[in-house]
Amino acid sequence: MPLSAVRTVAKAQNGVGAFILQCKRLDFHYCDWAGSSRGMKAFIKTSLPKFANQHPQIEITVSPRPRKHPVIIGHYINGRTKAVCVRNMTNEGVREKAKLLRDASGERLKRANKPVTSLNESVRGIWSPFHGARVKV
Amino acid sequence: MKRIRISRCGTRFPLLLALPRPTCRYTAIHRNTTPHNHRIQTRLQSGVAFADSYSSGPPSTEISPLTKTPLEALPSPHPSPAATSAKLSALRARLSLPPRFPLQTLARALIHPSADSNPAFNNASLSILGSNLLGYYTTEHLLCNYPRLPMSVVFAAQYAYIGPKALTTIASEWGIEAAAEPGGEVDPGLLQFKRLRSGDSLPDVLQNRKPRKWNITTTHKILTSDEFGSAMQRKEAQESQAQPVPLEEAAQSFVRALIGSLHLHLGRPFVKRFYRDHFLSRHLDIDKLFDFRTPTRDLSRLCAREGFEAPVARLISETGRRSRHPVFVVGVFSGKDQLGEGSGASLDEARVRAAAAALKGWYLYKPLEVTVPSSMEGEIDQSKWKPNVVDCGEVIV
Repeated sequence: MPLSAVRTVAKAQNGVGAFILQCKRLDFHYCDWAGSSRGMKAFIKTSLPKFANQHPQIEITVSPRPRKHPVIIGHYINGRTKAVCVRNMTNEGVREKAKLLRDASGERLKRANKPVTSLNESVRGIWSPFHGARVKV
Repeated sequence: MKRIRISRCGTRFPLLLALPRPTCRYTAIHRNTTPHNHRIQTRLQSGVAFADSYSSGPPSTEISPLTKTPLEALPSPHPSPAATSAKLSALRARLSLPPRFPLQTLARALIHPSADSNPAFNNASLSILGSNLLGYYTTEHLLCNYPRLPMSVVFAAQYAYIGPKALTTIASEWGIEAAAEPGGEVDPGLLQFKRLRSGDSLPDVLQNRKPRKWNITTTHKILTSDEFGSAMQRKEAQESQAQPVPLEEAAQSFVRALIGSLHLHLGRPFVKRFYRDHFLSRHLDIDKLFDFRTPTRDLSRLCAREGFEAPVARLISETGRRSRHPVFVVGVFSGKDQLGEGSGASLDEARVRAAAAALKGWYLYKPLEVTVPSSMEGEIDQSKWKPNVVDCGEVIV
């Protein structure tokens, strides 16, 4: 065989072509009795229907969790979860946290110390001493 | 590459209306009984159910006394709760499918034949259609855009875009969750299949079989093998029913079945857009797929075939010849034209790399304007069609 081929799998580029929101489920837990859930309950009553309507791609579950602080748990496509405790927060505060969980990718937080991360090779290539203008010593 | 059997796929009709589906035993039973009579509760026998599901006339009187079938008796979720499943509508929105795509069909695409062997309720037929469509669109994209690609690289590129591994990855990137065990009471938004227990060996039908012929030529692969040119043959999918399968197998069947059902419900243009967005948009370096054995020999054969002057390797520059890290830059020239260039730690390595670069430059030729055959399907104005380049093929050494 003069030529054979390497078997690989094409890599996904989310957002090139289709974009898939990484947050697939949000669980809202509250307590009917405790005061720390006041903001959460207000959010569930007033803002959650609109939030759910705006994000049909997120499955939303609401369930009581008695004698516990209110919490929002996000489930992500990569299999990880993220939980945010929203005790004593107002309606707006809970909404901000829900948006934060919606926008998260589910990955651990990482420091991005390179300006560009790309699958493509650099167009200019690696610098070579043999090409371009010669340096006279 | 499997030959395409899409003679009947051109027309577009809603699946639910057009196919004469056998009635579900769950609905059939409910239709014929008074809802409040709970006295007679008999377990449904599977033989009766099959007799009922394949008869097109009214259900026989034997099953009419049955009042209520527990959901657990069904092998897979009933189509009716699909309309209210949060998981299914979230999945439909996540894939940006329009609301006119019924959730019931999406639920059916999630049912692998290992969970429900009734062909009216599992995704086997949709998955065959979807796999043919995927193969068709990928093949025409590769062959039209890279007309000189060697056949083995075409196969590898197909494998990279729509191979089993790629489809499994795509399903997991779509956020598909699997049910622990299939059944009528399970949420229809979960992938329904009978799990292979860990440690068990694959069922016979999923294991690759040796071919009857021992000399597998490229022509043989094109004509009789699957779209990835595999030398081994698999058994037909019909025999894999009701046997436990790994998660990967079920996930692949879902992706294929989704493509098939999109074609039936939303039509060809939508599937092409969906395919472009979810499959072709993935990143694949085709030049990384080549694995040359003797590129210098291939290149000289190619030059002889195309009537170029014989290739000559010349040293362009070098550094540190007698050091620990020498670098040689070698170019391959045909007459005065430089065909390729490569650098390496030895003269031979640089020469081989230069020849490989020259061969890739030839094989990866890409025409500027390409019209794929499927873009002309259903078009009345044929003037937009531009004939594609057909190359005489790779070098035969």
